[in-house]
Amino acid sequence: MTGGEEGFCMIEAKQLKRQHLVLIVDDFEINRDILGMILEERYEILYAENGVDAMAKIGAYRDRLSIILLDLIMPEMDGYEVLSRVRSDELLRRIPVIVLTAEKDAELRALQMGAADFITKPFDVHEVILARVDRIIELSEGRQLISAAEYDKLTTLYDRNFFFEYANGIFRDHPDWRMDAIVINIEKFHSVNALHGYEFGDKVLKALGEEIRVFLRQTEGIASRSEADHFDIYCRQQDDYSVLISRLQTKMNETFPKASIRLRMGVKQWVEGAEPILQFDQARAACNMVRGEFFAHLMVYDEEMRKREMLEQRLQNDLRAAVDNRDLVVFYQPKYNIQLDPPRLSSAEALIRWNHPELGMISPGVFIPLFEGNGQISILDNYVWAEAAGQIAAWRDKFGVTLPVSVNLSRVDVYDPALEDTLQGLIESNGLEPRDLKLEVTESAYTDNGDKMIEVMDRLRGRGFQIEMDDFGSGYSSLNMLSSLPIDVLKMDMRFVRNIEHSEKDFRLVKMVLDIARCLNVPVIAEGVETHSQMSMLRKEKCDLVQGYYFSRPLPPEEFEQFIRREIEVFGGIEG
Amino acid sequence: MTIRELYDRMGGSYEHACKVMKMDKLIDRYVRRFKDSQVGEKLAAAGKTMDGTALFEAAHSMKGVCLNLGLDELGRRAEEITEEFRLGRERRMTDEEVREKLAGIDALYRHTVEEIDRYASGG
Repeated sequence: MTGGEEGFCMIEAKQLKRQHLVLIVDDFEINRDILGMILEERYEILYAENGVDAMAKIGAYRDRLSIILLDLIMPEMDGYEVLSRVRSDELLRRIPVIVLTAEKDAELRALQMGAADFITKPFDVHEVILARVDRIIELSEGRQLISAAEYDKLTTLYDRNFFFEYANGIFRDHPDWRMDAIVINIEKFHSVNALHGYEFGDKVLKALGEEIRVFLRQTEGIASRSEADHFDIYCRQQDDYSVLISRLQTKMNETFPKASIRLRMGVKQWVEGAEPILQFDQARAACNMVRGEFFAHLMVYDEEMRKREMLEQRLQNDLRAAVDNRDLVVFYQPKYNIQLDPPRLSSAEALIRWNHPELGMISPGVFIPLFEGNGQISILDNYVWAEAAGQIAAWRDKFGVTLPVSVNLSRVDVYDPALEDTLQGLIESNGLEPRDLKLEVTESAYTDNGDKMIEVMDRLRGRGFQIEMDDFGSGYSSLNMLSSLPIDVLKMDMRFVRNIEHSEKDFRLVKMVLDIARCLNVPVIAEGVETHSQMSMLRKEKCDLVQGYYFSRPLPPEEFEQFIRREIEVFGGIEG
Repeated sequence: MTIRELYDRMGGSYEHACKVMKMDKLIDRYVRRFKDSQVGEKLAAAGKTMDGTALFEAAHSMKGVCLNLGLDELGRRAEEITEEFRLGRERRMTDEEVREKLAGIDALYRHTVEEIDRYASGG
């Protein structure tokens, strides 16, 4: 079946091609016309009557010209001069030149100067003329295609595929050359584009490419821009890579003093037998580890990183099985209302732990950032929501009281169209109220994708869920923004509390956060409270709730039950 | 006069003209424009100065145009002058001999132009 029968018509590549433009240069109109007559059915023709006229037309049509047919003996500027100018100009030399001549000496000289071919006068065998012009255009376009594919147009460094082809060649032919893999990129390059525009972004990439080229003039190696702001260098081993990154960074600072361009570099040093593709994977991993590190620009891949990478890969692979086998365990940490005396259990936070069948207990500090980075965090979140909702219901059935539990909601979850229905479904299937399952969202999630986050949180609050802003103080919310956010509770970042006993400044900051919360009319939970004195200071400053090792570390549900039992025994139920 | 008869009268080669231009219509069009090319006048002017470069360029031009139009005899004579004054080549003729050759070319050129004029006016 043809495209036409389907209701659309496939455009063939040759239809998309513009007709080739041919420039005929000859000082005699008769010669120009006769040649034009031979070529006009197949080509679009442009004429020039001498060298000066030709150069003007070549300049004006340089991007469109497919070929130049050039007479050699002309007044004003002869064909040799035109040929020499075309061949020595970076922008023009792609245009092939066929010389028009009747003399052997001239043919030879023109060919030596870079002419692609010659056509002899008289123009008596049209087929030969057409065939020569066709062939030279075809050859030249083929060469240009290869050349365009070989180099990145913006930086003129190698294209990724050619780069790896050449790197593999070096590795294969010179296995003893100590070639290191270097990966360089620009921190938050998308922000550079967003702030200053794509044109500026391109200038930055070009300047970085040029400086890399300067570096490669001093050492043996090759470089490529593999994509966007990612540069790869394969070069002879350097003694100290901080010299290179500092040189490139200095160039960026000098060239773009008003923009903050921050480079990061990952290096994988040569080891015998390591193929370039593997070396670059590891250099890239090292480069990614620089992300977000303010003082570090450079990371050299080492054994520790290799182990970490292997572990991360293992954890990514094992996550599904962990969910299915229930290797993921939800622990609970109590939150106490310290404005009551004695403090009363108010709620709990659900925190995940991974009890790996082979690796043992894995710290959430290892796997949570990993899954946040690759989007698998939503698998964990969904698991915790279901476990926590089931646990609230189980305790309610066991003790006759409802202890609200807060769960984390990651930034990727807000893009799940089923989010609200999932949460609502858990509430309904467990016979809970939405306020029983509190949702913790980190401050940085609001600052990174504010509008979307606000929209989803508004809808969840509309259904009766309560939103707790987690890690408040670690992000960059403005006070102005804070007042408009849909939140019910502020959770103060644990770093504020850590030193309040020893640092007057930190204590003042805590008081400030409490003041802000009062202005916003939302209660504050202080996290990371470990000592009695911290708790007392916070209580005195009217902090509402605290969570931390002072009351309890996170515990498995059966151990956590002691707190519920105690509340019931001492107070007859859960506060609130 | 037919176009073929014109070529016989000019000492040209209708067959060569046919190879380049394929159709009588085109031969007719371009041969009428031969006079406009001024190749003869330019060569005569160069001959007055006897300047080697000017002579080479003018003769070379005449040769190119004539070869395309099938004006073989004129083209052959222009080629002699071209080779005589090609850069780096030793001169073989005296200036006097060159002047004689140029006079012959001039006469043949005038004759050619006259024949073309006659043809063009339907003579």
